[in-house]
Amino acid sequence: MTRLLLFFRLMVRPLFREPIRTATTVLAVALGVAVVIAIELAGDAAAGSFRSSVETLAGDSEIEVTATGGVPDDLVGKLATLPYPIRVRPRIEGFAVVTQTGESVPVIGLDLIAEAGDRMSRDWKLPDFADGSERGADLSSGVWVGRRLASKAGDQIKLQINDDTREYKVRGVLPSSAGDNAVLMDIAEAQQELSRTGRVDRILIRVPDQPSLEIWQQRLRQVLPDGVQVRPQGSGTEENRRMMAAFRWNLRILSYVALVVGAFLIYNTISVSVVRRRPEIGILRALGASRREVLAAFLCESILFGVVGALLALPLGRAMAVGAVNLLGTTVNSLYVSSQPGSINLNWRIIGLALMVGIGVAVLSAISPAREAAQVSPVEAMARGRREYILRVEKWRDLWIAVGLGIAGVAAAKIPAIDGKPLFGYLSAILFIGASALAMPALVEALLAAGTRVLTALLGVEALLASRSLKGSLRRTAVLVGALSTAVAMMTSVGIMVGSFRQTVVVWMNSQLPADIYLRPVGNPAIDRHPTISPDLADQIEKLPGVEAVDRFRSYDINYQNMPATLASAETETARYYHSSGFLSGKPDREVVAALRGGDNAIVSEPFANKHHVKAGDTLTLSLGERKVSFHVLDVFYDYASERGFVILDRDTMLKYLPDPAPTNLAVYLKPRANLAAVRREIERVSANRAVLIFSNRDIRAEAVRIFDQTFAITYALEAIAIIVAVMGVAGALLALVIDRRRELGLLRFLGAATAQIRKMILVEAGVLGLLANLAGLLLGFVLSLVLIYVINKQSFGWTIQFHWPVAVLLAALTIVYVATVLAGLYPARIATRLIPIEVVHEE
Amino acid sequence: MEMKPESRSSATLTAGMPVVSFQAVSKDYLADGQKVRALDNLSLGIEEGEFVALVGRSGCGKSTLLNLAGAMDFPTSGRVLLDGTPTSSLNDSGLTCIRREKVGFIFQSFQLLPTLSAIENVELPLLLAGSPTGRTAAREMLGWVELAGCEDRMPHQLSGGQMQRVAIARALVHSPRVLLADEPTGNLDTTSGDMILNLLRRIATEHKTTTLMATHSLEAAAMADTIVRLRDGRVEEVLRR
Ligand SMILES: Nc1ncnc2c1ncn2[C@@H]1O[C@H](COP(=O)(O)OP(=O)(O)O)[C@@H](O)[C@H]1O
Ligand SMILES: [Mg+2]
Repeated sequence: MTRLLLFFRLMVRPLFREPIRTATTVLAVALGVAVVIAIELAGDAAAGSFRSSVETLAGDSEIEVTATGGVPDDLVGKLATLPYPIRVRPRIEGFAVVTQTGESVPVIGLDLIAEAGDRMSRDWKLPDFADGSERGADLSSGVWVGRRLASKAGDQIKLQINDDTREYKVRGVLPSSAGDNAVLMDIAEAQQELSRTGRVDRILIRVPDQPSLEIWQQRLRQVLPDGVQVRPQGSGTEENRRMMAAFRWNLRILSYVALVVGAFLIYNTISVSVVRRRPEIGILRALGASRREVLAAFLCESILFGVVGALLALPLGRAMAVGAVNLLGTTVNSLYVSSQPGSINLNWRIIGLALMVGIGVAVLSAISPAREAAQVSPVEAMARGRREYILRVEKWRDLWIAVGLGIAGVAAAKIPAIDGKPLFGYLSAILFIGASALAMPALVEALLAAGTRVLTALLGVEALLASRSLKGSLRRTAVLVGALSTAVAMMTSVGIMVGSFRQTVVVWMNSQLPADIYLRPVGNPAIDRHPTISPDLADQIEKLPGVEAVDRFRSYDINYQNMPATLASAETETARYYHSSGFLSGKPDREVVAALRGGDNAIVSEPFANKHHVKAGDTLTLSLGERKVSFHVLDVFYDYASERGFVILDRDTMLKYLPDPAPTNLAVYLKPRANLAAVRREIERVSANRAVLIFSNRDIRAEAVRIFDQTFAITYALEAIAIIVAVMGVAGALLALVIDRRRELGLLRFLGAATAQIRKMILVEAGVLGLLANLAGLLLGFVLSLVLIYVINKQSFGWTIQFHWPVAVLLAALTIVYVATVLAGLYPARIATRLIPIEVVHEE
Repeated sequence: MEMKPESRSSATLTAGMPVVSFQAVSKDYLADGQKVRALDNLSLGIEEGEFVALVGRSGCGKSTLLNLAGAMDFPTSGRVLLDGTPTSSLNDSGLTCIRREKVGFIFQSFQLLPTLSAIENVELPLLLAGSPTGRTAAREMLGWVELAGCEDRMPHQLSGGQMQRVAIARALVHSPRVLLADEPTGNLDTTSGDMILNLLRRIATEHKTTTLMATHSLEAAAMADTIVRLRDGRVEEVLRR
């Protein structure tokens, strides 16, 4: 109890005497923690959501049966007549676009009559079915929808399925356990509407507890054809989650950068408070406080920062998560799996995480200054006056450690991924950040020594005073530059990575999209949805004057080695190619593509090759329909459209195994002299009653770049926060610097300094800090960008990115940081000019 | 040394134009909401080249008087004239100008900037005043205080007496009209203190720089031409040699 009282008197009270600095430190912790939990919450929401859309009305089944291109109807009958006590529930799973809102919603087709009579399905009940009057009524037309789509039975709803739009009669509203936006129809109608004639998408099977699930899977496999897959129900969701793991990991790591920046600031705050209170600590030691108690007191102070920061972070993080979910949603849809953001749940796990991260970062960054406090000897109480204690900086020792860390960082960058995660890549990045922090004192001192003369010549005596004072409190300066430069480095490295990626994609697109006009069904693009276009539309377009050829592109969602992927086919005879090679082997496109024709040959995308360790010359076994087919891998092509990976076949090969002729995309080639606008109008005319989108070559590129930019929007948001934390830290630290140096600043007034000169001096200090941080940050950022591009990105996503300096973006960003830093000096500068020199200089 | 007492509330010391003159000056401070009168209707004139010692108990208003004389602060009432210019007629930048041209300060605890070398400390007032080259003047000044060869030492590499000599050089480098010294020997041992006092004496004699020195020590006061004894913010007596 007395301890607590003492802690409050000696540690907490002083914090209130400097409200601004205390507030900036707490806010820095809060922002850092908020970013971490925002990303966690948003990730959870995104990951939770695809479960709800695919698994709508799945009931409690244990096993699912699937096949690429659908499971033939007759297998449903075969399974149902097996002499086992099992429940067989075939399903159609597709999606529709609600015409009114443009929202994509899941469409589920179930055998309603069987479900209605099924007393085993406990988890949901259609209201209509319980009502005897409906029994035997026509269940085969109309839809049941989630409460978000219609309010009551009898409403009409307009849905677009594939490229066809129709009105449906709402027969009932689904209970909320079925999700609020699902569309349910009878399986027969769903087969027809989604053109799945003779096939179902998934068969869910309920089996008794005994014998084990493995044995049941075994039994079912025995009666089913080779290509049909038998898995525990929900495997797809699990796979999606696993597929997104790398993405979430990278995002998570990125979200911790703001926290690292915050750590620098806590370190600085506690260091400063230790330095200022040395005499006080000395007195306490003389009065009987042990070293251990002093250490504990400062660590508790940091815990206080951590706890308060974490508590503030909870509402802040939740608010940020809302924005993050929207940004993430686009990325997840275009790269991984169609999903709708789930709800954001601030649960105990997140609260625990916030406290752990907040307290953890605070204590870690306080250890070194707290130990320094514990070293203060009681004799210092007797030291006359409150002279600034000169912080010992072991810059040479630190520099050598930095060199060691740098070498370790290079070594770590060369170690391959573990379990698909670039753990050593992260380690390498951390080592480089550590090296940079430790090299900072030596670097700052060298740069200041070299730059003071130039600065003084340019800016006058204020610059001399500013750079001397920065050099005088080298440790503090180094920590500040360290914090700001880490934020700048993050911005630079991610900027370079994204810029390089973007440039690579643009260059790649220029060689990848040779057709003049592209078509796909209306709706937001999502990587795992493949709505089709009616085959006759393709034929009609092909016959238009001015059209030379149409490439019918068809894609399917497949599962390879328990990971989702995309299987696609193209009409290799029609497609034209640019001269450049899109292949890792460097062979001309024309040659590789020609070899694809005839025979079971395939090409795979680079991310696919990396993920599954496939290379040219290997054999790839895919389940297609009811069969398992082995393909010869001819080559690996560069691809930046999807992380999950592509396998591409010739259209004829694909049709041999999966005979559905409907394409998912069309690429239209014009005759040499044809007028683009005229042909486009013609295509619009023939597709007038079809819900298709028509893109010119230019449109589709712009669209791709737009999606790309959206994908990376979240990284920009994270960077911005790290920068804000750092700039806030600079403002707080400059303020502390002003307060600690008030005597010196007062003295300058005695020596004839004008207020404007004092202000200029503080602003020059801010400017020099900003300049040093930009320089160091640019350097570190360059190194980190190499790690990001060639190690982390390569190991987690498998993309080959060409290095590219996004000069304009970097310049703009660095300028903003610089200006922000100088602006951060305004308030401290004002305080500095308001000091009353007489009070600070004279002594009793 | 003969000292003869003059009238207790003398207005001016001589008839000539004083360099610093206090005319019925009062100065109040607000400390914890309470008004503290540091100077009370004080009048005083100081001649060119005069070396004045201000003596009196701690808290009698010596530092306050020096601050007003150095254009660091305004009086609550009355006028302070520096070289004929009333300080209250000037704004902040006007005061800064006066300080740059006419005033040099020396403090008890030296007050060197710890991050600047000796010579950089000395040339600082010139640089702050915007003069591009102060090196030569600073070097000369350091030579005059017998610190030639110590130009590039940092303050923490100097002894107390050396630091105070650097401070004197800094206070004189721009040839001020008035040198204001607040207990310049307070933090020094006798030997160093004597050296500083001798320097101050020479400044007044050789440079004709008007010097106002607040001090506790009678020994120090004995070096001065004039001793002004303060008590509770008033001039108690003025002793002239
Ligand atoms: N900034 C200030 N605020 C309040 N009171 C002050 C301030 N400066 C001086 N005083 C008071 O004014 C009186 C004279 O102070 P000072 O001029 O410093 O005396 P001396 O230098 O002779 O010791 C003292 O009572 C002191 O407490
Ligand atoms: Mg005093």
